[in-house]
Amino acid sequence: MNFIEAFLSSPVLRMAVLAAIGASFASGIIGSYVVVKRIVSMSGSIAHSVLSGLGAALWLQRVHGLHWLHPIYGAFAAGILSSLIIGWVHLYYREREDAIIAMIWSVGMATGVIFVSQIPGYNVELMNFLLGNVLWVSSWDLGVLFLLDGLIIGVVFVYHKRFLALCFDEKQAQLQGLPVGRLYLLLLSLIAVSVVLLIYVVGIILVLSMLALPASIAGSFTHRLSRMMGIAVLLNIAFSIGGMAIAYRLDWPAGATIALFSGVIYLLSLRFKNPITSSRP
Amino acid sequence: MSVIIVENLFFAYSMDDVLTDISFKIEAGEFVGLFGPNGGGKSTLLALLMGFLKPKKGSIRIFEQSPIQARSQMAWVPQTFHFDRHFPISVEEVVLGGRLSKLSWMGRFGKSDSAAVSASLERVGMENYKEAPFSILSGGQAQRVLIARALASNPSLLLLDEPTASVDYAAQAEIYRLLTSLKKEITVVMVTHDLHAAVKHVDKVFCVQKNLIPMAPEKVCEHFAMGLYHAPLKIGKELS
Repeated sequence: MNFIEAFLSSPVLRMAVLAAIGASFASGIIGSYVVVKRIVSMSGSIAHSVLSGLGAALWLQRVHGLHWLHPIYGAFAAGILSSLIIGWVHLYYREREDAIIAMIWSVGMATGVIFVSQIPGYNVELMNFLLGNVLWVSSWDLGVLFLLDGLIIGVVFVYHKRFLALCFDEKQAQLQGLPVGRLYLLLLSLIAVSVVLLIYVVGIILVLSMLALPASIAGSFTHRLSRMMGIAVLLNIAFSIGGMAIAYRLDWPAGATIALFSGVIYLLSLRFKNPITSSRP
Repeated sequence: MSVIIVENLFFAYSMDDVLTDISFKIEAGEFVGLFGPNGGGKSTLLALLMGFLKPKKGSIRIFEQSPIQARSQMAWVPQTFHFDRHFPISVEEVVLGGRLSKLSWMGRFGKSDSAAVSASLERVGMENYKEAPFSILSGGQAQRVLIARALASNPSLLLLDEPTASVDYAAQAEIYRLLTSLKKEITVVMVTHDLHAAVKHVDKVFCVQKNLIPMAPEKVCEHFAMGLYHAPLKIGKELS
């Protein structure tokens, strides 16, 4: 049975494809801001710190019987908290920014690993969070994913011009009276929300492949950030469905295959001259 | 009327004094050049005037307000190298950056903003580049677009940080022609290293080297124009 036949016959695979499409919208839009603002390492730090919240929520759920506490709530809380800390450091304590980004990255991961290690039978759960398992998505997960997608698209619809100003020239935005500090924190919080969505598809470790690579490729084909977002969404959809098809064919893990596929296409794209900047006098 | 009044201003980054006991006034419609050696405090002074830095001592009043309160009346033109030239943005979007204070809560610009963008691009001779990517512009064209962005906000005070630093001779002449045409209409304060060209156009020159020495343009020592800075030898004669 090939991938298309499996897609038509398996509700699990259809849910997985829907999840990948949903996550592609968030990662294409927010990933474009991440790439042009050059905050890929900050986003990596937020992504990895999310494991602390996931681990803590799982531990409370499994060991202490808090059954209502879905791991995604923990991921959401940890992502927002770490994005606010990183944003605060960037705005008011910039000399130590690199070290604090690295600290949040590693301490977040370490905390998560320790929490998960205290749960009996933790290995499968940990691997699913770290490397993703798109076939693991339930209809409840899909509902949350599209709800968060709607939230991101709604905020970006209203705030896009402010975010564009923030990414291009923070000082000009400040001089024009925009609340640059609050906008920066809002943008980092949206990155945290996108990370939570991407955990379903590629897992924590591979989040950057969907957040940064398609947006970087898209940037070579347009001089408008809004168009870059559209192209990045389409590339994300193509990479995730293409990656899933390859994974299905070769019996590889889907998240890792999607990340690898994106990486290979990104490397190939570097061979082509940027049609926009190559024409500069 | 004095647009800028600075009195006994001190500023330091941690232990290093950058500006010490600076006082000066700039009148409405004046074109003032700030020059001095690298690290002398010119760009720091500009940042203090815009309220991006706070003085350690002393006061700055712009249009009889604090710098932050006066921001709506000022605009600035940075150097083009501050920008990521691969950033995916059009010339129109860059110039709309001068209309951000008019943005509706829904994040939309109005017709008056489009009209202001067209008018300011026309004023700098870049009206045919409205839809062009910012990334393809030459240094001189990019600098003119940044001046258009500043003009789009209808400022009363224009601050420029070395606008001719990375442009060729023809572009430099065009930028000076433009700035001279703004004289009287807008108060202009320009940081520059390009003293030879600048002294021909400015009304007043301030040499910034930790302290500030006002000079008449025609009295500026030729050594300064060559980049060889020293304390003025005839301060009494050179004060304007």
